[in-house]
Amino acid sequence: MNAAAMLEAVLLASPRPVSLRTLVSATGLPEGEAREAMGELGNRYSPDSSGIVLREVAGGYQLATNPRCAKIVERFREEARPAPLSGAAHEVLACVLYLGPLTRAAVSAARGVNSDAVVRGLIERDLLAETGRDEDSPGAPALLDITEDFLMAANANARGDFPPLDALVDEGEISRVRERLSRARVVPGGDDAT
Amino acid sequence: MRSGVENTTRRPAERPLSHFSVELEVYSGPYEGLLALILRDEVEIFEVPLREIVALYTDARPPNEDPNTLERDTDFVDSATSLVLLKGRALAPALDLDGDEVADDPLSPQELEERLVNYLKVRRAAEELRRRLAENAGSYPSAHAPPPRPGRLSIRRDRLVTAARRAFSRAAEPETRHLGPITVTVEDLVTLIRSSLARGPVSFEDLVLGMDRLRSTVAFAAALSLAAEGDVTLHQSEPFGPLTLDPTR
Repeated sequence: MNAAAMLEAVLLASPRPVSLRTLVSATGLPEGEAREAMGELGNRYSPDSSGIVLREVAGGYQLATNPRCAKIVERFREEARPAPLSGAAHEVLACVLYLGPLTRAAVSAARGVNSDAVVRGLIERDLLAETGRDEDSPGAPALLDITEDFLMAANANARGDFPPLDALVDEGEISRVRERLSRARVVPGGDDAT
Repeated sequence: MRSGVENTTRRPAERPLSHFSVELEVYSGPYEGLLALILRDEVEIFEVPLREIVALYTDARPPNEDPNTLERDTDFVDSATSLVLLKGRALAPALDLDGDEVADDPLSPQELEERLVNYLKVRRAAEELRRRLAENAGSYPSAHAPPPRPGRLSIRRDRLVTAARRAFSRAAEPETRHLGPITVTVEDLVTLIRSSLARGPVSFEDLVLGMDRLRSTVAFAAALSLAAEGDVTLHQSEPFGPLTLDPTR
């Protein structure tokens, strides 16, 4: 049996991403050969031509259905897609992704509002997890970090797959904020900084 | 988005809003259930669009002939204003309720600027994340999780403890220190407005002249209730402009 077929079988049987090391261990293939075969599978399961795609997510490989076929799959499985996350939930995830690991208090401080309920919801959905403790803070509060499920949902291998935070904001937009604030400072009681 | 208020004659034991249900993005079910979840901190107040709730209530409001309309409106206004207050308090900087602690120093202009710029970045990152998650939302993994092998079933201890704590603990009593004794009711102000209107149209400013802020707010709620009942027409030529109450009957 060729290498690609063996890897394909292991991936098909796994509901979680499988790292190359685990694939090598499971199939007994040399790493170089396994890597080459994964490239072959990548071509075979291209999103342009296949209903199944090979994803590199959360530090491993995963076979999954092509998102373009989502409606058909959902109709077949007779299950609705989970409700989309709220704006507040996206903000909390962004805080933890870019500034984390963070305590709940740090998330709330970054957003300017209490975020505990949103954090709780995201932990229940396995998108965030408590991964340690901030020993330097009083009471050693829990540190939150993103999870493997989050990386799978975002089709990302690791934090580095996301664009840098500074690249997401237009410099002109930041200048406008600074300008409005300085104007509000000059004009006592000026309310145009809101 | 839908809602419903059943137009039935209320039995004495029933609560006025027990038939009002709402369907929002964050919650679907009885309005009173939503209030309970908010008080138990299980639904974040920021996620609840108050304007939509008011619109739902207005749309589903039974006809004026219903004998319980005023009571129901009063209850709704009461709970809605509490939600506004809760949301306002959550948005405002933390208040020192005891008055025995020195409040944090206000942010310097530079710190405020830095905080706003950082928040702007988080907002943009959240938008990018929303796009990315939506793009990949329909991707399903190749295999369902196999059932755990005998003896391998494991439940994380911390999740078990959390679940048990939530199941067996009493919901925390909501904070009431900020609430004062009831000194005025909507009904009192309805009576006052009705007697003022006996002499013809009256401006809201004249009506609340000399009243404190609480009475003015309740007077406004009473005016809205009377307008909703059709007893009064409210005239306001522009937002924040003078408000005039005109008797319609």
